[in-house]
Amino acid sequence: MPRSRDVTAVALPPFWSLVEAHGDELLAHARRVAGDQHAEDVLQDALLRALRAYPRLHHADHLRAWLYRVTTTAAIDAHRARRREVPVDEVPAVVAEDTYDEGAFEALIAALPDGAQAALRLRFVDDLDYEGIAGRLGISTVAARQRVSTAVRTLRERHAA
Amino acid sequence: MTPLPESLLEAVAAAAVREGLADAVFTRLSTPIGRLLVVQGPQGVVRVGFEEEPEDRVLAQVAARLGPRIVASDRELAATRDTLDAYFAGEGDPGGLPVDLSLVAAPFRHLVLETLHDSVGRGEVVTYGALASRAGNARAYRAAATACARNPVPIVVPCHRVVPGSGGIGGYGGGPERKRALLELEGAL
Repeated sequence: MPRSRDVTAVALPPFWSLVEAHGDELLAHARRVAGDQHAEDVLQDALLRALRAYPRLHHADHLRAWLYRVTTTAAIDAHRARRREVPVDEVPAVVAEDTYDEGAFEALIAALPDGAQAALRLRFVDDLDYEGIAGRLGISTVAARQRVSTAVRTLRERHAA
Repeated sequence: MTPLPESLLEAVAAAAVREGLADAVFTRLSTPIGRLLVVQGPQGVVRVGFEEEPEDRVLAQVAARLGPRIVASDRELAATRDTLDAYFAGEGDPGGLPVDLSLVAAPFRHLVLETLHDSVGRGEVVTYGALASRAGNARAYRAAATACARNPVPIVVPCHRVVPGSGGIGGYGGGPERKRALLELEGAL
């Protein structure tokens, strides 16, 4: 069901309310993606990044998912920075499990229309289901599924060509 | 799940303040009149909440006015905490703390609270009528009473020192028993 959305009047909750509500699970997430040794530094960096970006958010939905994403990105950046500093280092969990690379992903989808890019990010970066994507984009679940599958097909065709 | 270490939270808050990212900082303070939530913006203390006020609502009020980047830190507000702790231990006057009255929209109420903050010290009391008069409108004692009842920064702006001309200690946003406790603490009763 389409939802109308007022992007001009965003009432964001006080930042620390989010930290107090989700901090524990974010630390657990940081441990999974960065390992115990680096988790606290990663989360500290992630919370500061989130705070810097916070006033620029266009909506107050899915803030928890957003904080998870910021934490994942901070873990990946921290790992890259450590690799540059120290030639040999242990591979953090997230990089061992998959080869997610934000830069490569963005480059891959850059040529697609904005709507298709948004749908792909929500599906593959935020890991939302089609209902979640529909809610975020203000479109129906069926339309969300179509948008993702069309975008994926377009990418396949281009890479096959 | 293990809770977040206090050191991590303090480090985030300290960096936020250092980088100018914090619209406001808050701290929780235990006092003889219950837990206080003290919120401070760049200009001064903007909100003091009594423990029965839902924290989320108090912080949301501040966020709507100063911005949503609100962080907690005991350390960043150490000076404010020390002043309030000393006051509740019987020394000094939190009226000396800088105050931000931007949550008070109505101009006369703003003026009343500013006048109260600037002119009524520890141990003194003033009537609603006298306060209205000091703020420039002797007949506006009802407006003065409303300003006190809705004071967003109790204790720092000392509405507990304002009493009815007809006698008694009158009402208080935090309840008359807190008003009495504060006046007794100050030796005004």
